[in-house]
Amino acid sequence: MNEQFRVAQKLGLMFRHDEPLPKDIKAWAIKQLQTPSPSLGIGNIGSDIKPWPKSLQPSLDEKAVRLRIHWETVKRERKKEGGYTEDARRANDRDNFTYKNDILKFSHRNVYGSDQLRLRLMSFWTNHFTIGSFDSREMIGHAMEEAILANFNNSFSTMLYKVTTHPGMLTYLDNHISAGPNSQEVRWAKAKGRQAGLNDNLGRELLELHTVSPSANYTETDIRNAAKVLAGWGIDIKGNPLSSLMEQGGTTNLWDMYKKNWAEPGNKVVLGKTIYQGKGGLKQLTDFLATHEHTVMHLSTKLAEHFVSDVPNKNDVDYIANAWRQSNGNLDQIHTAVIERAIASREPKFQWPMTWLFQVLRLSNASYFMGWNEIYAEGLGKNNMEPMQIFNELGQNFWKERQPNGYSSKKEDWMSGEMFERRMRFADAIWTTDSQIQTTSTIMDRIGASQETRKLIESLGGMSKRSKKNQFIALMCSPELMGLENA
Amino acid sequence: MPNYKLTRRDFLKASGASLFLSGLPLQGFTQDKPPGTISVIILEGGMDGLTAVPPFGDPNLKKMRELLVPENYLKLNSFFGLHPSLKNLSSLMASNNASIVHATSFPYKKRSHFEGQNLIEGGGLSPFSEKTGWLGRSLELAKIPGRALSLEMPLILRGYGENDNFFPAKIKRSSEININLIEKLTMAHAKAGSDVFEKVKKKSLRTLENMPRDPQSLAEYAGKAMAQKNGPTASVIRLSGFDSHASQDDGNGNDNAVNLAIIDGVIAAYKRGLGGAWDNSIILTVTEFGRTVAVNGTKGTDHGYGTAGIIAGGAISKSRVISEWPGLAKSDQFEQRDLLATIDYRSVCAACIEKSLGLDHDLIASKVFFEPKLPRVFDYLFS
Repeated sequence: MNEQFRVAQKLGLMFRHDEPLPKDIKAWAIKQLQTPSPSLGIGNIGSDIKPWPKSLQPSLDEKAVRLRIHWETVKRERKKEGGYTEDARRANDRDNFTYKNDILKFSHRNVYGSDQLRLRLMSFWTNHFTIGSFDSREMIGHAMEEAILANFNNSFSTMLYKVTTHPGMLTYLDNHISAGPNSQEVRWAKAKGRQAGLNDNLGRELLELHTVSPSANYTETDIRNAAKVLAGWGIDIKGNPLSSLMEQGGTTNLWDMYKKNWAEPGNKVVLGKTIYQGKGGLKQLTDFLATHEHTVMHLSTKLAEHFVSDVPNKNDVDYIANAWRQSNGNLDQIHTAVIERAIASREPKFQWPMTWLFQVLRLSNASYFMGWNEIYAEGLGKNNMEPMQIFNELGQNFWKERQPNGYSSKKEDWMSGEMFERRMRFADAIWTTDSQIQTTSTIMDRIGASQETRKLIESLGGMSKRSKKNQFIALMCSPELMGLENA
Repeated sequence: MPNYKLTRRDFLKASGASLFLSGLPLQGFTQDKPPGTISVIILEGGMDGLTAVPPFGDPNLKKMRELLVPENYLKLNSFFGLHPSLKNLSSLMASNNASIVHATSFPYKKRSHFEGQNLIEGGGLSPFSEKTGWLGRSLELAKIPGRALSLEMPLILRGYGENDNFFPAKIKRSSEININLIEKLTMAHAKAGSDVFEKVKKKSLRTLENMPRDPQSLAEYAGKAMAQKNGPTASVIRLSGFDSHASQDDGNGNDNAVNLAIIDGVIAAYKRGLGGAWDNSIILTVTEFGRTVAVNGTKGTDHGYGTAGIIAGGAISKSRVISEWPGLAKSDQFEQRDLLATIDYRSVCAACIEKSLGLDHDLIASKVFFEPKLPRVFDYLFS
């Protein structure tokens, strides 16, 4: 591949057929960090690419309002004799759920967006801060855009704090029901014979997965103390009335919900650092963890494994870690260091299933994901798959219930007969779905395909429809486009 | 209720939804079939052994976790009971086709899901030290290559040599993959990837019916496949949702009653699927850790250490609860919070491998678990 596409494959999502190729690819990549794109997509299959309508991008408050209506509708419908009909359920889903829009918007952004590098980084951090439960699915898209992507020009500590306090994360890891052992809430509960107290789920993963990692040798006491700092943060997102939000958190802002009565009084010590009591304690803790040496090494390694090479060398990791230290965790500087090392390294990088799918769609200009008007359309289901199904069949889905450690960046965890066959089948389905897509030879010329890739395509020669289809599948599953060998 | 001969200090008298099928015989390769089959049910999240198999004879059980002691538990003996969701297991115990190992764990004490899961699948000496899994290594020693029915290739089944997986896809508008295309791609992937495409080719030559995806149907499917003459020797089913931090028994959160009923149903489905092959089968559960003895603030339990293991199958001829019970008093707990593990669960896995694959214990100890001195508990389970 030519240098533009080699870099776009490792760090981005490939240039679309009508995007100009930058002369200075490194300068372009670094500039991408400062160049947001609106959320682009299509209303219907085959229609023009346009920004997503505002009405389909509700704010957190609007999402909460819809959830409230959703639960009221469910309750009302269930009470009726004869139960909750399928039609009523569908209508309620369509009017009040937003996660299906969110998955489609994520897919569209990745296929049509001009900010391919930022989108790759967004997926990396979304995976790092996995939110993966049924209860939090309405919040995942919001956390991805507002807690992660929106903070790319801030510091890691800001992103860490915004993710940790996000209602999606607080619900996913049980923090919204955790109360300090000496809190007012626990005293009340005891008096009434109710159970209440600490749940260390988020405290543990904050240390183990999100920041310092087990290499820091923290103790169970550190974990419990982190959980005590977190106690009081969050509220169940299942459509609470505003009066109950005000009563419990003193605010209706779901992203700043700290229930004083649930907090643990007193200072707490985490990894030797004294954290003061009160709402400010969490910011103090996340700031401390964000620049902790073990966090710097853990995350520099993880970034290098995702973008530079499965087995990054010490220089790659040190380079990113140094940028982290020198900039005090400034994400622009950290991401710039990642870009520099990924470009300097000639190592190929095997791409995630979802990244590969987006790259195939951008290269071929295929219309594969449905439009935002079609999510609940009747009759579309025969030939088109819903985004949720597409990602499930690919074996990688940010909206699926899963464990908080996220997906592996390493080739060895994805190299299997079934995973490869799925890619071949998706390439087949994409070719079959859109007859207007770019031809194999046009794509090869544009990316500067290697001699080996051209030989592969020629060996499947012929002008029949079937040969052309096989050539398209072969190109998309070639070592070159799967990121398996040096181009 | 059957009378299981076991008392409080009846020591070691003898001291694991996705489906993965593995161990298909190589075509044209004559070999002796192993003596039995082995199925592992991975319980993801850390199963609470004290809920599944409550030691009601320990006076501290109610003291430490009154909220979580199941009502109407089924009595196993004068000391241990079974959660009422495990009805089928209870009748297997009665017919001498199942055993329980209690106060046991892989020797991992740091309470991280991901380190723990890596160890119970990898079977290494420290987290992330192994790229292969204990069942994969065992199948290789028994000269059966690994092949899993699953979209992912689970660590537990990975061996050093050939690994493979397959799972029926539901991708609209995709058709049968052309063999010539796969062959050309295999050649093109001269470096990494060629062996993977070889597998795509092999897979495409087999037909696989459409299968349902719920755990019980998967288990029945696995049982049927293993019962066939040239069927797989091993299978793995992964069940999630055992990380019961909150509301573990009130029907609202991670409800253990539901999850335990799924384990019970999976074992029953295996038996149905296996049919006559049940007699030589072993099914065992593994989980990354047990949970805290005391209930936490949110009616659940946090990450702990010791737990219980369930072993079922016709290869068992005498049901037992095998345990060197450590006690639940605060001073008896591991780090004053968890059930102590007094039996290394790797020994239980080793005994199941020995029975089903006919491998020598010392070989399993050194080549599968890298622990030449791993105690042999075979006689307690299978004599």
